[in-house]
Amino acid sequence: MSNLKSIIKKIDRLKPISQVATKVMSIAEDPESSMSDLSKVIIYDTAVTANLLKVANSAYFGLPEKVDSVHQGIVLMGMDQVANLVLLSTSGENLQTAQQGYDLEAGDLWKYSVSSALIARELAEKKGVKETHLIFTAALLKDIGKVVLNQYVKDSFDKINTLVTKRNFTFREAEKEVIGIDHAELGGMVAESWNFSPKMVEIIRHHHRPQESSISEFESSIVYMADTICMMMGIGVGSDGLAYRFHRKVVESLELTERDFEKIIAGFAEKVKQLEAMMNI
Amino acid sequence: MNLIVGVSDMKVSNDKEAILVTYSLGSCIGVAIYDSVARVGGLLHYMLPESSLDQEKAGKNPYMFADTGIPSLFKAAYKLGAKKQRMKVIVVGGSQVLDQKGFFNIGKRNDIAVRKMFHKNNVIIDYRDVGGTVNRTIKLAVNNGDIWLKVSGIGEKKI
Repeated sequence: MSNLKSIIKKIDRLKPISQVATKVMSIAEDPESSMSDLSKVIIYDTAVTANLLKVANSAYFGLPEKVDSVHQGIVLMGMDQVANLVLLSTSGENLQTAQQGYDLEAGDLWKYSVSSALIARELAEKKGVKETHLIFTAALLKDIGKVVLNQYVKDSFDKINTLVTKRNFTFREAEKEVIGIDHAELGGMVAESWNFSPKMVEIIRHHHRPQESSISEFESSIVYMADTICMMMGIGVGSDGLAYRFHRKVVESLELTERDFEKIIAGFAEKVKQLEAMMNI
Repeated sequence: MNLIVGVSDMKVSNDKEAILVTYSLGSCIGVAIYDSVARVGGLLHYMLPESSLDQEKAGKNPYMFADTGIPSLFKAAYKLGAKKQRMKVIVVGGSQVLDQKGFFNIGKRNDIAVRKMFHKNNVIIDYRDVGGTVNRTIKLAVNNGDIWLKVSGIGEKKI
């Protein structure tokens, strides 16, 4: 147990999520909020504003005109997407670092996180979801637990890998068995410590087992599927490889065909270079 | 000098200094070819089995799909003087998520696509490491045809 306590205590060592990001999240999740509520929170932070404009103007999004202000960004892209991009441009600090336990070099986990978020948003839109912020942000931050667990995975890698290769454990199940906690559960705790909404906490916690989520099964399923697509594309895949379980029922519940998924993969592949350019901003 | 082959990408070279490398294959497949007489190497990293999914995308980037990428790889190597009968062929990647079975199993379909194509065209695969759940990276030295396969978390070996 003492091991577990010391792991959980390491959550405090993460760079805290920025105040602007926290405020933007609560505005985005509040149906009563207005455009000016959102823009006010952003414009007083010049660094966030500058980053947001750079990301919004990147070739990846291919906007018809250049965005010069937060207000214009909201008009062109909508509140929901601007909130997403604020999260994207403020969440990198923890996720950009190398994670040796997972055999991920600096930038790998970040690319994985951003790709998952963009694909999750696309899936959500395909399913007619108008406010994608919850799904986008959960997909972006779902692997924050890996940053906390990294050192422990590194120390116990051989044991974990034996369970995966010899006993049909998933990598997450093996983390739990060997270390006592897995990265998804730990990610949920990080989200709680950052005062995220209960739904956000639940999606992060259940991103490998969406069918066990009680309050956000649909959203968790979308994030799970985006994660699976990224793994198949080899984005941000490290020592855990693709050793996670495929839940056919979850996939079927989204009522998307194999062809739909393949089209998403093909579309995303075309934009990977632009994505990399955007992330170097 | 590393020549990086991205996702849905292909490179051929006869530059003795060049090392062709493609990272993080996942369910995608990497096909490496080498002619030791012409000293020409090529590496393809395709994502999906069939170009019928989207002909327009295949037209713009044939390397995205097995059925358009593999012929392009060989043709590009022939242009540099490589000959089919001298070609050493290595196929790696095609991993699957656990319990995936048939549905949405791109890794498996990518594998079937390359095997079918080689069978039809009488190409023998000299080395094959396909499937499982691991993540692979492959490197090919154009100078002598040495090939290294890295499995994330496990390490790199010369094959």
